Amino acid sequence: MDRRPLLSRAPRGFSVLGLVLFVAAIAALAAFPSFVKKPYVLHMGVVLFLAIIQGQAWNVIGGYAGQYSVGHAAFFGIGAYVTMMLLELNKTAPWVGIWAAIAAAVLLSLVIGSITFRLRGPYFVLASISVTEIIRLAALHFKDFTRGAEGFLVTEIPTLKIGATEIEFFTKRPFYFAALGLAVVTIIANWAVQHSKLGYYFQAIREDQDAAHSLGINPAFYKNVALAISAAFTAAAGGFYAMFVKFIDPNTVFGLDVSVQFVLICIIGGIGTILGPVIGAMVLVPLSEILRNPKGLVQLGIVSSDSGFVRFIEANLSNAHMLVYGILVVVVILFAPEGVLGVIRRLATRLRRRTPSRGRTEPAATA
Amino acid sequence: MKKMLAPALAALSLALPGAGHAQVKIGFINSITGPEAPIGENLTNGVDMAVEDLKKKGVNVQLIKQDDTGKPQVSMSAMEQLATGDEVAAVVGPYTSATANAVAKLANQYKVPQVVPAAAKEEITKQGYDFVFRLNAPAHQYAQSLIDAASELGKPKTIAFIYESTDFGTSVAAAGKDFAQKKGLKIVADEAYQKGAPDYRSTLTKIKAQSPDLVFMVSYVADAILLMRQSREVGLKPQAFLGGGAGFDTAQFESEKDISNLVFSVTQWTPESSPAAQEFADRYLKKYGKKPTYHAACAYASMTIVGEVAQQAGGDRKKIQEALKAGKWNGIMGSVDFRDYEGFTNQNELVMPVVQYQGGKSVTVFPKQLAKKKAVYPFPGWK
Amino acid sequence: MNVFLQSVISGILVGGVYALIGIGLTIIFGVMRVINFAHGDLLMLGMYATWLVFSRLGIDPFVSVAITGPLLFLWGAFLQKTLINRVLNALPQNQILLTIGLGLIMSNSIMLMFTSDYRILTTTYSSSSFSLGGISISEPLLVAFLITAVITAALYWFLLRTDTGQAIRATAQDRDAAQLMGINVQAMSVLAFGIGSALAGVAGALISPTYYIFPQVGSTFTLKAFVIVVLGGMGSVIGATLGGLIIGVTESLSAVYIASGLKELVVFVLFLGLLLFKPSGLLGKTRA
Repeated sequence: MDRRPLLSRAPRGFSVLGLVLFVAAIAALAAFPSFVKKPYVLHMGVVLFLAIIQGQAWNVIGGYAGQYSVGHAAFFGIGAYVTMMLLELNKTAPWVGIWAAIAAAVLLSLVIGSITFRLRGPYFVLASISVTEIIRLAALHFKDFTRGAEGFLVTEIPTLKIGATEIEFFTKRPFYFAALGLAVVTIIANWAVQHSKLGYYFQAIREDQDAAHSLGINPAFYKNVALAISAAFTAAAGGFYAMFVKFIDPNTVFGLDVSVQFVLICIIGGIGTILGPVIGAMVLVPLSEILRNPKGLVQLGIVSSDSGFVRFIEANLSNAHMLVYGILVVVVILFAPEGVLGVIRRLATRLRRRTPSRGRTEPAATA
Repeated sequence: MKKMLAPALAALSLALPGAGHAQVKIGFINSITGPEAPIGENLTNGVDMAVEDLKKKGVNVQLIKQDDTGKPQVSMSAMEQLATGDEVAAVVGPYTSATANAVAKLANQYKVPQVVPAAAKEEITKQGYDFVFRLNAPAHQYAQSLIDAASELGKPKTIAFIYESTDFGTSVAAAGKDFAQKKGLKIVADEAYQKGAPDYRSTLTKIKAQSPDLVFMVSYVADAILLMRQSREVGLKPQAFLGGGAGFDTAQFESEKDISNLVFSVTQWTPESSPAAQEFADRYLKKYGKKPTYHAACAYASMTIVGEVAQQAGGDRKKIQEALKAGKWNGIMGSVDFRDYEGFTNQNELVMPVVQYQGGKSVTVFPKQLAKKKAVYPFPGWK
Repeated sequence: MNVFLQSVISGILVGGVYALIGIGLTIIFGVMRVINFAHGDLLMLGMYATWLVFSRLGIDPFVSVAITGPLLFLWGAFLQKTLINRVLNALPQNQILLTIGLGLIMSNSIMLMFTSDYRILTTTYSSSSFSLGGISISEPLLVAFLITAVITAALYWFLLRTDTGQAIRATAQDRDAAQLMGINVQAMSVLAFGIGSALAGVAGALISPTYYIFPQVGSTFTLKAFVIVVLGGMGSVIGATLGGLIIGVTESLSAVYIASGLKELVVFVLFLGLLLFKPSGLLGKTRA
């Protein structure tokens, strides 16, 4: 049985077009807040970037190395808690604290990895869930250390001084740029991993762990490396999340639904590709926001508050956004298991085949 | 869009002679979906009724509802949207302790007056936030009223705490433990549990082995019934069961005669407290087909006050804040006055009536000035 | 000593119902190798069915097992035939996400239909108990335990003694070989998923008199069911029975001797330890 993802071909070479598009997209997004100032729009931008970071981070271990962790909330939560606790209890600025958070998450990843990577398939999935549940329950119970269910609320983020400029984290703007920056760094790192020797090792393990082993690749070691990289970026996302939403408790950062979201972003977009998580985030974030809060569209000025569309959603779906979410997941898994990106590629291939004037035969091996 | 609304508004003001003023926009954040939704529904009903009543009085409120799904981070973005997007004059809500506390910070930052109707966490009004007002009594009142009542009725020496490990559960229990120590009660058990577990029998057995005089429980809706059922099963028999509000203060709990009988609970409000309260309860029952909980009453009272004040102030946030601070109201919650005392800011001082379930009906038994019947103490044992 | 015995007894009684949930899951996993994350939601459906027939028709929860079981069987078979079947050869994470999606659909549809209010079934015996040598025994739990025992025994008989049962076991052992032997593995999968969800539904009915019902109730049980199944060895019915009892007693004892807030944590630690040292479970055979 062929269990390989459809889009598992190794990335080759360097696309100038891709680079140009990437830089253009960053420039456009960086210029965006100069034109659009509505806090709600910037807020959604941050949520989107955060989802991209989450997806990219999971992609390293789940997409490239093929280890389907459903326990990434552990790293996300550690990132959030370490950053938050350093700020609240020790007055450490978050841009300093986040490094400690990343270090803690990498350390944790080595522990978790050494435990769970002995297991394969469903056992690995269940183990990754259990470890995260243990951490969540412990965080709830040991109140003296973690404040338990009460959680942490940010009292004040200090002013960031870079040279003469002072950045105050009052509005959405600084968060928007920070999230954009972090997303760009994560994407570049992901690209670098994918195109390095490391990336090939990961893929070799994903395709056939035993064969990789016989080629002299130590699966346990490289899986740990992949998890550590993934954990580092996940922790950064967690630390950022804590500062942005300003409140964390064990259930919101260590919950199973958080772990599932990591996987979902990648699956919906397309697993094991750079573009996949980006697309997944672009589908998932606006969709769940529109369903949860159709008034957001009114604020964006896209529709008027008395439009039939908003009224329809409010009347029928505002209590049912999780239902629609569920239906979306089922539909994607059944009809587009290779994600939106896969569907696009399939369509593109079909289109190209129909236009032979290009004189280029697309190899069937796209799939 | 404003152009489209204008004729509609004009028509309204013609139809309602009293509605000479412009609409005031008021935000309402509540747990409309999510695990806290069953209680949240009471708040929504209370607020809806208040808006209708306000309209009759000529106060035209445009209510903007936001669902926080019971999560602080969602409540915060809801608040941001209300403050900066919808630009509401004031906010009522949210319901739970954690969400209300998270929103309070933002309310003060954006200088939007917020009236918390029913969240118990002490800290909410203890942070010196000028723009945050609380109508209901804070967590320590729950514990204080109950333990005071028990100490007056008998001579308890030991107390056991069992509470869910949520923000509400831990804060009420923490206040309870503090107060118990002050009263010279010995704490013989301190058990936090994860809500939703089907089996508390072993925890209760452990408590039973300590034979405490008082058993103090804090839990949301359904666990209250479960805890009492299993207490009966294992034969836990203290001098009194003290239920710290929330789940012990629901119609569902009341109707479970077998296990609710002679349990004490504390509440923010009872229909018995005044004729106005009774009248509200009757109208509510007629409209929604169920009895109002204190959440409904608190939400109704909060909305009524905010609506009136907001209209008088012409929707100006600072003026509303000043008016809330200065004013005094009388309504279904008795007299409401947001004051600064004992480290609290803008806190309404509310005497929490202690009720006891007697034969499937809750009766106010403490304090004396509110009591309708004598309490049964000590607990005579299970039937 | 009394406290200890009391905890063990109530742990065993609760564990009996856990076992039933676990058995359902283990049959599904055994035959299809699909991790069913919607298992708790199937249980939830069983609870709502029980509540409906109790409150509308006045049928006792223990009697209504005869209705909820077949109902959930049909529903499970339908799900398998139309949806789950399509992902049998897909990546494990896709299977997990599909069942998570199905769970979300089920719980949120129920929420739309019945609101998120907590429903409590109050029977005359909901909090009855009798005392045996100073140890109190919950009557509804004891009845539930006995029904569980009967169903489990019947299931054994079915799996061991009937042709269909043996075909199911053969499919679980080696799907390809079973197919070669002329067993209709498709039908066996539908049957297995049906039985699995029927058992979840029955478990839902059995705990209804002593628990409460709300749309999201399933998630608590899904994770617990996995622990039970892995503990007993994936696919092993006896293992799941034993696993359920062990988890029940472990929870009960750790609430007394460690802390109430840590009883779930202890279960997960136990689970992880087992995964590491004996991943095939207590009674599972090591699979190649």
